Amino acid sequence: MIDVDKKLHRLNDRLVYIKDIFAGKQDEAVRMLQVRLEEFQARVSEMSSQEKMSALSAMEELFTFMEQKLNEQLTPMDKVRIVRHPQRICLRDILENVYDNYTEIGGQDDKSIDPGMLIARAYITRKRGKALHNQPVMVIGQETGHGEEFRNGGSVKPWGNAKALQYMKVAEIENIPVHTYVFTPGSYPIEDYPGAAQQIARNLYEMAGLKVPVISVFSEGGSGGAEAIGLADRRLMLSHGYYSVISPEGAAAIEGRLRDGARAAPELIERCAMQLKMTAYDNLNHGLIDQVVEEPPLGAKPYHYEFFQSLRNELMRATDEVVLTTRSFALLRGAVSHPHRPKSLENYNAENFVTRWSLSPKARERLLTLRHKKFRNLSNGRWIDPRTPFDKTLSKIQATSTDLINLFRHDLWGRRKKQIGFAVEEMDAGARMLLHRIFTPFFSFMRELVGPRPQPRIAAEELTALSSWEEDNGKSSVWSYISSKAKVDRAVTCPNADKYGCLDLWAPDLYGEFAGVCTNCGHHFPMGYKWFMYNVFDPGSIQEFNQEIEAANPLNWDGFDAKLEQAKQKTGLKSGCITFEASINNTRMCVALLAASFRGGSVGVAEGEKFLSAIERAQRKRLPLLAYVHGTAGIRIQEGTNGVIQMPRCTMGVRRYIDAGGLYLVVYDTNSYAGPVASFLGCSPYQFAIRSTNLGFAGRGVIKETTGMDIPPDYHDAEKALSRGHIQGIWDRRDIRNNLHQALLTMGGRNLYYK
Amino acid sequence: MEKHKVLIANRGEIAMRITRACQKLDLDFVCVYTAEDAHSGHVALARELGGDIYRVSSYHDANELMAVADASEATAVHPGYGFFAEDFRLSRRVTQRERGMIFIGPSWRVIRELGDKINTKRLARSLGVPTVPGSDKPIYDEMEAEHVAQSLYEFQLSSGIAQPTIMVKASAGGGGMGIEEVQDIAMFRSVYRRIRNYALRNFKDEGVLIEQRIRDFNHLEVQIVSDRSGKNPVHFGTRNCSIQSTGHQKRVEVAPGFAPDEISYAFDAAGVLSEITEHSLALARKVRYDNVGTWEWIVTRDGRPFLMEVNTRIQVENGVSGIIASIGDREGIDIIAEQIRVGLGEPLGYSQEDISLDGVGIEYRIIAEDPAAGFTPWVGRIEKFSWKQENWLEMYTQVPTDKPYDIPTEFDPNLALGIVWGRNMEEARARGAAFLNSLVLEGSDSSGNPLKSNISFLRAKTDEILRF
Amino acid sequence: MLDISKLLEEIKQTPFDEVEIISPWCGRVSCADINEDDPVSGPCGSWLEIPGTLLASVEREHNPKPVRAPEKGRIKLIRKELEGQFIEAGTPLVTLKHFLTKQEVIQIILRQALHLFNAPERAKYYFVPEVDMKIRTAGHRSVRVNDGMDLFIMSRMKREVTLPYSGPEGLIYSVYFSHNENVGAGDPLIGVCPEELMPIVEDVVARVQAEWEEQD
Repeated sequence: MIDVDKKLHRLNDRLVYIKDIFAGKQDEAVRMLQVRLEEFQARVSEMSSQEKMSALSAMEELFTFMEQKLNEQLTPMDKVRIVRHPQRICLRDILENVYDNYTEIGGQDDKSIDPGMLIARAYITRKRGKALHNQPVMVIGQETGHGEEFRNGGSVKPWGNAKALQYMKVAEIENIPVHTYVFTPGSYPIEDYPGAAQQIARNLYEMAGLKVPVISVFSEGGSGGAEAIGLADRRLMLSHGYYSVISPEGAAAIEGRLRDGARAAPELIERCAMQLKMTAYDNLNHGLIDQVVEEPPLGAKPYHYEFFQSLRNELMRATDEVVLTTRSFALLRGAVSHPHRPKSLENYNAENFVTRWSLSPKARERLLTLRHKKFRNLSNGRWIDPRTPFDKTLSKIQATSTDLINLFRHDLWGRRKKQIGFAVEEMDAGARMLLHRIFTPFFSFMRELVGPRPQPRIAAEELTALSSWEEDNGKSSVWSYISSKAKVDRAVTCPNADKYGCLDLWAPDLYGEFAGVCTNCGHHFPMGYKWFMYNVFDPGSIQEFNQEIEAANPLNWDGFDAKLEQAKQKTGLKSGCITFEASINNTRMCVALLAASFRGGSVGVAEGEKFLSAIERAQRKRLPLLAYVHGTAGIRIQEGTNGVIQMPRCTMGVRRYIDAGGLYLVVYDTNSYAGPVASFLGCSPYQFAIRSTNLGFAGRGVIKETTGMDIPPDYHDAEKALSRGHIQGIWDRRDIRNNLHQALLTMGGRNLYYK
Repeated sequence: MEKHKVLIANRGEIAMRITRACQKLDLDFVCVYTAEDAHSGHVALARELGGDIYRVSSYHDANELMAVADASEATAVHPGYGFFAEDFRLSRRVTQRERGMIFIGPSWRVIRELGDKINTKRLARSLGVPTVPGSDKPIYDEMEAEHVAQSLYEFQLSSGIAQPTIMVKASAGGGGMGIEEVQDIAMFRSVYRRIRNYALRNFKDEGVLIEQRIRDFNHLEVQIVSDRSGKNPVHFGTRNCSIQSTGHQKRVEVAPGFAPDEISYAFDAAGVLSEITEHSLALARKVRYDNVGTWEWIVTRDGRPFLMEVNTRIQVENGVSGIIASIGDREGIDIIAEQIRVGLGEPLGYSQEDISLDGVGIEYRIIAEDPAAGFTPWVGRIEKFSWKQENWLEMYTQVPTDKPYDIPTEFDPNLALGIVWGRNMEEARARGAAFLNSLVLEGSDSSGNPLKSNISFLRAKTDEILRF
Repeated sequence: MLDISKLLEEIKQTPFDEVEIISPWCGRVSCADINEDDPVSGPCGSWLEIPGTLLASVEREHNPKPVRAPEKGRIKLIRKELEGQFIEAGTPLVTLKHFLTKQEVIQIILRQALHLFNAPERAKYYFVPEVDMKIRTAGHRSVRVNDGMDLFIMSRMKREVTLPYSGPEGLIYSVYFSHNENVGAGDPLIGVCPEELMPIVEDVVARVQAEWEEQD
């Protein structure tokens, strides 16, 4: 009897689940199942237990059949509902069923620094012959639980991500692989000590150089929160999961231009979910994940034991693959290289195949190289480059020859020259000392003999006549580039007028001579990016590169082609990123500029590619690298996961550049938020903000929506970011040039051409 | 002359003089005032003469002035002195805005060029005009600084100065901040470093100027007038403004600058006066100076002049030059009227030969203050204010004589200017004393204490006029 | 001794305050879409980040400058006849009928209780920089004053002198002057609450909280 109740209960759960995930759709199927269930319940008291069991079995079969049928009709939004459903498997289910043993680290249930982030040491036991091998791993992932409120749906706070990072570093020390599980709708968007963006950027930066294999499994991959633990050597994805730049609701709010938490229509959300190309197979097709792990129809639940078995198998295999590719035996590497796995390994049973998961120092280096290569190639080609293949080859050859020239100039000749230089200097100093000792007594004797040295003639001329003076143009108060805003005859009110009694400023003065700075309180009005380009660097020193690379519409997002075209027309730019070389007091540097005027400075594949190329160019030519963020609204949602992938991709580039001994400076102006700040910008050790800048993770609306909190008006301002330790200083716009010069003098690594 | 309407962007005594000058030239005018100044004489005068009157939030807010100018359809703006008088930005805005107007003052480029003291000094030197010995550009190098300091020290010793003093100042500074004196040359390096660091901290520029500190001098001025062509500037003689408060605020001004006929000087005073006049004109020609302006000089006890700066505006004491001047047979020149006339584009219409200077003028600044207590301003209500009218006296004041007047606390505490004329030094002094004796100025503050003024200070100083 | 009940009764007789809103600037007026008897609100939100109701906009130098309600109330009078006209600074635009809030009632009563330090002269007053800094970061009730302490800068006739506080030691409970505005001689600058007055102040706050009902 208990059995019948249990089975009935479970069937009921399955029905509720179907209802939930289809949210009012698939009425007919639901009604049919419901009727059958009700019929059974009406008749159950009259049935024999035999009849009950067979009726139940029939119904179970019907459910399974219907689930299979419905599974084929799942829309992306249905999958969103699947991963968010309390019946969905959670990380603890995986720990229970995939690993042979585990200990949770750092908290029990709600007694944890962040119950949304779960850390466990676990092991997988494998057999070879009679020997048992326990292979330890560090398991890190968001824990959604089955609807417990304190888990916050896997929305992790900055300190939760910090905990994750701490244990990744532990894994690195212990030389064991990391398995991360992405179960998050997104990061909890607060600014604290640290702020959300600040911590995600730290995680990405560290993972970019983490010297142990990292395997990640995506179930719910909500943008920044996912990236905080998602940068991995192998990225598996559950077939019913999603991995997206933004939640469909968020995308719909932006697409529908909704304000103040107004809800988007379900149709719009559904359409956005479709356009975001966020399902497992979408992401696989775009090459953004490596492999899909098939789930049972309508998604995995805690009792799908076969699913756990296959997940276990895929995990072991993925870990083996990563480890093997780092080994020096080319044959072995070839044997498992993915995805063209030789037939002989198709049916390989990971359980009986023991590979040691710890890496030798050399293998660790190779691991990083491979990881870098992997991310370098992600989203490749999803921009427009009108250059002919010949041109592209030519520019590659040029790059290589620069490499060679630099190798010679700096490494071979440069070092030698320095040594010679030192020798000459020392010799010179020694010789002078010697001469001094020899001749000083003689000179002092002569002086006494001749009497006091004649006073220099009183140079009245020198004190009263005009001296020669070449005024430094850089110091003159007149800017060489004047904003077009300075051509309008109107007065402008300072936002601090009430507080500090600032008088209105005349636009031609304000945007011209004053460089957009209130003369009374120092408030900085936003200026166009051209002001920065043409007033900060040595005149005529700007040399743009890669301007051919053009933002595209890789997901064929509805209506986006027209919007892109409009942005290109309006700004005369081809993407939101401008990359160039320029000089400050004759020191060359490489600059990547994000222009707020091009679609809010959002970052898509083209921008990421240009940014990454700029990093590589700086590394090749040993130039300091400056990211000037003239505002960014985040990752461009219309490019979906292709956009999000720029976060780890560019951070990886930054990491390699810094490790190679460069100088990576970030300067924020106007408003900078979300993905880019939470990755390749926010990871710089030298970040500065122009006064009156706002920066952070999520805007006011999103914070209100996700946390229910109202935030103070100064929540994101530069002073707050400085207090939080996100940035290292606040600059006056008029001092950018001097401060950059100072930064070149005092900061950065050893591998810069002028050092 | 075209019919113009002049916005008078100032208050008090100068606004009144500009108003009267407009009336004299048959020009329309617009008067502005703030709530504090509702009872000021300049508003009453504007009302009496039928000008437009507007209340503004502040004399310092250019936007208010421009808005009123547009509303009243003014075609020119007179800044007076203080406020926007030497602000090249307002001048630029007035001329470059969509509804452009004439700024009655030099063109903005001239104001900017001469507003920069280093630039002025270099311009002067390029013409051989004497300037204070020392550097004429910011010095960034310690070796060079020490060299200049050493030379200056020796230069002063060789000029017979017993106690040479060197001034070290931040070149980007101003208003007395970041200035130190060095008397012991051994101390120079530490002072230099201190100022350099101060400058770097406060002005983000470690440039430093090193100059001789000149003590014991007379403060002289040359009054220049030029039309918009900038080609034929003339002068209206010199003034001596050496009688000042302890805070270096002028209290008595005399024209001409010296009286060699009546007082004996240790140097060729007449020669010095003509020398500074010629130098001033030379510089005016060089920059194509195109309105009224004052060249400020200091003259040392041994008669050496140094150009200090150029004030690109009408000055408080312009009347003392006007009272001794004639053009042809026109006696007593209103320099403000001349300023407006040429400012609006009229050619000057006369040359230096047509100008003659005759007699001695003295201007007294009558102020409610306590000279005995460091010239602290006195605040309160004026109950009685009167003087004896004379044909040798001009009196300018915004203080009403027929009703009590609360001194506004917003502004300089100037109450009135009394200008007397005499055929010679002797007569001017006697008339000055007579004027001061006839003055009645009474009042009391909120606690009932009687008004304090500088009248007895002015009387005492009358005897010292033009004596070095 | 302070008779709180009596004072409260007095205030209850005239619980309204009429606020005349003037244009601080010259310019051309366009009235907002509001009418007599409409309710308006002052700045609100946890950080007063939501501005008050727009009453009119005065355009000066191609810059429309909003004039907003400084506090909650109802429009008693709005001078719609000024629409489109150029007005001088200080021209009245709107009269608001404002029902006193608890805070305001507390302030009115406390003016009788606190030690008031008055302006010796008509001048503009500022706190000395150290105190100003403290007030900006921690609020004026964090500042303890004692006799002879340099507290203000008095600015008039382009001269500034420091003005020491005199009176009993205590916390600055109320500040009665604002930035860049003249204070008449004898008008209070601050109200200081000495230790022994604390119970009375608390009593006033409690009584007003309990007995005063705020209205729109």
